[in-house]
Amino acid sequence: MSSHYEAPIREPLVLGDKSYHDITVDIAKPIEGKANKNWYIAFTISLIAFLWGLGCITFTIGTGIGTWGLNKNIGWAWDITNFVWWVGIGHAGTLISAVLLLFRQRWRMAINRSSEAMTIFAVFQAGLFPIIHMGRPWDAYWVLPIPNQFGSLWVNFNSPLLWDVFAISTYLSVSLVFWWTGLLPDFAMLRDRAIKPFQKKIYALLSFGWSGRAKDWQRFEEVSLVLAGLATPLVLSVHTIVSMDFATSINPGWHSTIFPPYFVAGAIFSGFAMVQTLLGIMRKVTNLENYITRLHVEYMNMVIMLTGGIVAVAYASEFFIAWYTGSPYENFTYMSVGAATGPYGWAFWSLILFNILIPQLLWIRKFRRSFIASFIISIAINIGMWFERFDIIAIVLSKGHLPSTWTRFEPTFVDVGIFIGTIGFFGVLFLLYARTFPVIAQAEVKSIMKVSGENYKKLRDGNHE
Amino acid sequence: MKKYWKSVEELNENSSIVAKLEQNEFVSDIATDEFLGDKETLEESSTSRRDFLKYVGFSTAAASLAACEGPVRKAIPYVVKPDDIIPGVANYYATTIADGYDFANVLVKTREGRPILIKPNKEVNGTTNARVQASVLSLYDSSRLKAPKLNGNNLSWSDVDRQIKATLSELKASEEKIVILTGTLASPATSKLIKKFAKENGNVQHVQYDAISETASLDAYEEVYGKRVLPNYDFSKAETIVAIGADFLGDWQGGGFEKSYTSGRQVDTGKMSRHIQVEANMTLSGANADKRIVLKPSEQVFALINLYNAVTGENLPSKETTQDASIAKAAKQLKAAGSKGVVLTGIQDKNAQLIALALNKKLKSSILDTANVKYTRQGNDTDVQQLVADMNAGKIGALISFQTNPVYTLANSADFVSGLEKVKLSIAFASSEDETASIAQYALPTPHYLEAWGDAQIDAETYSLTQPTVNPLFDTKQFQDCLLSWSGSSESFYDFLKIFWNTSILGGTSWNQALHDGFYRSKARKLRGKSINTASAANALKSVTKSGDFELTLFASTAIGDGQQANNPWLQELPDPITRASWDNYLTISQADATSLGFENPVQDNGAINGSYANVTVNGTVLKEVPVLIQPGQAKGSLGLALGYGKTKAMKSEMKVGVNGYVLADGLKLTQIVSIENIGGTHKFACEQLQHTIAGRYEILKETSLEDYNNTNLDPKESWNQVTKVSLKHEEVSVNDVDLWDDHDRSIGHHFNLSIDLSDCTGCGACVVACHAENNVPVVGKHEVRVGRDMHWLRIDRYYSSELDATSEERAENVNTTSDAVSDYYALEVPAENPQVAFQPVMCQHCNHAPCETVCPVGATTHGRQGQNQMTYNRCVGTRYCANNCPYRVRRFNWFKYNENSEFDFNMNDDYGKMVLNPDVVVRSRGVMEKCSFCIQSTQAVILNAKKEGRKVAPGEFNNAVACTSACSTGALVFGDVNEEKEVIVEKKADKRMYRLLEAIGTDNNVLYQVKVRNTEEA
Repeated sequence: MSSHYEAPIREPLVLGDKSYHDITVDIAKPIEGKANKNWYIAFTISLIAFLWGLGCITFTIGTGIGTWGLNKNIGWAWDITNFVWWVGIGHAGTLISAVLLLFRQRWRMAINRSSEAMTIFAVFQAGLFPIIHMGRPWDAYWVLPIPNQFGSLWVNFNSPLLWDVFAISTYLSVSLVFWWTGLLPDFAMLRDRAIKPFQKKIYALLSFGWSGRAKDWQRFEEVSLVLAGLATPLVLSVHTIVSMDFATSINPGWHSTIFPPYFVAGAIFSGFAMVQTLLGIMRKVTNLENYITRLHVEYMNMVIMLTGGIVAVAYASEFFIAWYTGSPYENFTYMSVGAATGPYGWAFWSLILFNILIPQLLWIRKFRRSFIASFIISIAINIGMWFERFDIIAIVLSKGHLPSTWTRFEPTFVDVGIFIGTIGFFGVLFLLYARTFPVIAQAEVKSIMKVSGENYKKLRDGNHE
Repeated sequence: MKKYWKSVEELNENSSIVAKLEQNEFVSDIATDEFLGDKETLEESSTSRRDFLKYVGFSTAAASLAACEGPVRKAIPYVVKPDDIIPGVANYYATTIADGYDFANVLVKTREGRPILIKPNKEVNGTTNARVQASVLSLYDSSRLKAPKLNGNNLSWSDVDRQIKATLSELKASEEKIVILTGTLASPATSKLIKKFAKENGNVQHVQYDAISETASLDAYEEVYGKRVLPNYDFSKAETIVAIGADFLGDWQGGGFEKSYTSGRQVDTGKMSRHIQVEANMTLSGANADKRIVLKPSEQVFALINLYNAVTGENLPSKETTQDASIAKAAKQLKAAGSKGVVLTGIQDKNAQLIALALNKKLKSSILDTANVKYTRQGNDTDVQQLVADMNAGKIGALISFQTNPVYTLANSADFVSGLEKVKLSIAFASSEDETASIAQYALPTPHYLEAWGDAQIDAETYSLTQPTVNPLFDTKQFQDCLLSWSGSSESFYDFLKIFWNTSILGGTSWNQALHDGFYRSKARKLRGKSINTASAANALKSVTKSGDFELTLFASTAIGDGQQANNPWLQELPDPITRASWDNYLTISQADATSLGFENPVQDNGAINGSYANVTVNGTVLKEVPVLIQPGQAKGSLGLALGYGKTKAMKSEMKVGVNGYVLADGLKLTQIVSIENIGGTHKFACEQLQHTIAGRYEILKETSLEDYNNTNLDPKESWNQVTKVSLKHEEVSVNDVDLWDDHDRSIGHHFNLSIDLSDCTGCGACVVACHAENNVPVVGKHEVRVGRDMHWLRIDRYYSSELDATSEERAENVNTTSDAVSDYYALEVPAENPQVAFQPVMCQHCNHAPCETVCPVGATTHGRQGQNQMTYNRCVGTRYCANNCPYRVRRFNWFKYNENSEFDFNMNDDYGKMVLNPDVVVRSRGVMEKCSFCIQSTQAVILNAKKEGRKVAPGEFNNAVACTSACSTGALVFGDVNEEKEVIVEKKADKRMYRLLEAIGTDNNVLYQVKVRNTEEA
């Protein structure tokens, strides 16, 4: 792997006087110990939200999509907004684990496990929406190219929705495999430490018989590299394809060649923001302050600044082009004077505020390195990115080509309920994960201890200080 | 033989235990009763364990058997097949609707003995409006009166006849007056029959009463021409039409003028009439007019006199109006047109009508037809008011009402009700237990016109027959049959009718032929009128006409008319062509008045509009809680309110909408001086269009002037029918020359196109209802329409011009450019004070390069070889992507289950209402997308028929098969096969006015539009 020398001016990635065993103990603690009250409170809230959402989904499927606020001219609103939002959130995980692996970024090791978990759980939520937004979700399997007895029926390979099916399912499966591969040595560690036979059995199963031989490690490294190579294009492809749901259509405001790169940047932007949000809570709750440090936060903030910058430039060019075409049809795209001053002005300005203005605070080093500031800014970005998708979908559809079809959208309690339900579902999954999975890739962190661990650095560089 | 034994005991042959074991399973009794608990109760119970098991077994079997049984759907085959019915093949019958308000010659399509669709009978120039189209659903109205009733109790027809005959003979003996009160019958046979009845029953008077009265016009015509009828108008020859307060493209004098109006405006002849409309409300006529002059009703009177003065040079007493300059210009044009000019007025004053007649005489107008006069309105207001007075004075012995509902439509309905109590015998013939039938002693159910025999004389030259197209659904009897039997005759009305026609009308020609055709033509003579004393008329007018701060004009709305069919969900759901609001009536008010009185129509977050309520007072009568809608083009100081709403009797609860405007029609006058008070509150409108202007997107609805159209120096493609240009290899080319797609060969077989002439579309909405009927389009109700989920496959967009919109010449130059200023976009969105109006029917454009087809993940929407964009409902999973990607927004999603769902209690949730469904078109399920199919079920039927008969499809056959085009009275919609040279559509496609909607997108539509032309030439 990487060199065993790191410049003394580099900040350590693992703080405190940690031995290898300390890391094992720290990571295994939440799994082996009992859950605290906070966990139970959080879990209960998430579960209630999840069940509420489940109720709303049941109501929708039982009664019809009419329970949502959609109408003849606005065929999508919260459903696809939520879909794209969750898919976007799911982007950080693969970027961190795959792209940063290829770039040999050691700081990813503390955060890749949880961000990948977040990815997978977010993709679960995302995958829900394309199914339940269908008028006849019981026929959802028709979008799969399965040989069938219906006659010569086949899926339509021209449709971006079909590309979505492939993109999302590929992304989910590759992410899952990648995540699990990384988990093998850590599960094995838990298996070896487990005292209760049942627990031991479970972790033995999950670790796929990891033995810790040198050959295992060699294969582990190889597979990780291969999977990283496979997953890297997915980081770009998934949101590219999601953006094509819009870009290949003919609605002014959707029909835009800038969408693929801009959506990918936006996805990474929102994904990192969600990682910040989750880890900001997790490092406190599970006492991982020594592993997820200010340095990690600062690095993630830098990615956020970069991708946020790309997004801001994309907004600006969309706005400019809408005006520059001189076409009256472009007067009301989601990035236009019409949108800024029209009935959805509040949504437009929320987007500008949360997605462009607030993240600019990260140019200030103090904020960039502040846990609290990063947490607050990450929440703002999460909101802003939701508005971005809402604006793109609802504002554009509300002002179509023919003025006679202009209308508006108002969500019903079912729309809101399902969105809250997916947040609850995500919370349930993540909280269960935090209690049963090693939340930091301890095997990998151990591999950089001698290079980037604070105590080793001190030992080695002591004479320089 | 070996023997096995269980215990030593068995070896003992005499063992009692062994003997007992052979009988019993156990040696000793098992104390089940004890361990089950209460031994005594168990012993008392007659149910043993075995019984219990039997019961369980039986009930389980019974329950599961009951559960297994599916719902029984009875499909009973013909035991003896009627000769003329082949299952699956439609029969057509020519008949005539004459319900007292709508009169039309129609063709009825029946399937397996059920009428399912109404078409105009084009052999007799029949035109159908939306109400006539929808009348087939009123046949299947489950709230119809199903059996005769006496004071609310059912009784048999024989009892009815016996009792009424007895009472009638008593009345005859005491010489008391019997009054037959009807709407306009225009039925020669019934008139004869009433005379016969009168002869038998002594003192009988026939009073005709129109809820929306033309008494003034009838009286004026009678005074001049000696006959109490309405003159006819042939607008096809007109050069200048000036209409003052007459909505002749609506229901004025029975309507039906749109055909001759548009045939006088065919621009390809190079000529079109100039239509100047003077009015207060925004009407269909005003919307179609070349020039619309806005005046309150009181000023319209003087506008008429001023027009008369300006044309004739006379100096009748008058007053100045605010629009005299425009009136003078109109007069000049009228004078120039001479005998090709005509003046119409809807002012309900005999003197005003006299002046209009005088002016037409002065012009020697050939448009006014005194030969082929109209019989569609015959009501006499004086008779009606006299009747009410007589009833209250106790002078009336019996009142027989038919095709009229005075308790609902009379402003002084309370007087009528109190009078009716004093009448000894009150009989109401009614199709439902309406306001009048429910208080009359006898409520007698009459058949729907589709179940009845009858005749009608719509105009002097056309005698029309009504014939039954279905066996009566309920225990009904015709009014005429009753009159016959009460006159002591045993003959049926059918016999009476046939004899009457053979002796008095047909003049030797065949009855069977007349019945087959549905009409018989005769010839009428022109009348020469007496001279008219215009001076006294003008003087009388001047002294009578009063103005007020607010003047109300009551009108019949396009959808509901006089309110007879208010229980018809298709009509309730048909949006008003002007306001595009459905399921409601409302007070229309000008923006200026609304601002000063504090009325607003704020748009809600869900895209619906709200309004507040007003109390409207006429002579002390207050109509409370009238919702207010701001109407561009409404004259300042004037108000409008549609009649026909606010009915409460025999109505489904969903249909009880609106307020009853008739209570304000004091003295049967439709214009009233009112006071209005803003009482606040929130009213929820169901309005289908929120954006009223074109917002600077001129290529959506192209317009030009007659002058530019006729200017041969202008290249249409560069001026008024400009095509968007794009750059291809650095050269400017028309967007139509650039294509990303490889085209299929479309020259083989049929290829369908539909042309929509924006000049000819008057916005009447008949096509919208026809589409509902043909394609089983569901009705979704007020709330769903309000939140933008109407299911109309075909809609008629209505656009107002804004103050900023350029005139047509400038428009052409400005296409695709808008001002940069933000304030301008918003100015372009606000309708002008007196806007120009244009209608644009929009249905699926059947794009050859359809954006919807590429985005469907399951291939549920695909392209047909004949040009249709086809929707496979069974394959649809309902992603709605197709609808989002449709630039025309014509796709409709089934948000809920709209059939057999009590939440949508309209015709598809009703055993009778379901009978109107077209068996050739599937009823869509929840969660699928639907849209216009170009009536593929009908075009395929035409092709198959031709194939079976071994011939080519005749030109025009497709046009007559498709619901919207066959319903269109003006020929604005033309459908056909572009690969067949003789089809009209081929010419339409090549017309220089042809353009495609949103051509620049490159969807290559199979629906074509023809540029709207206005005659903007001022004199």
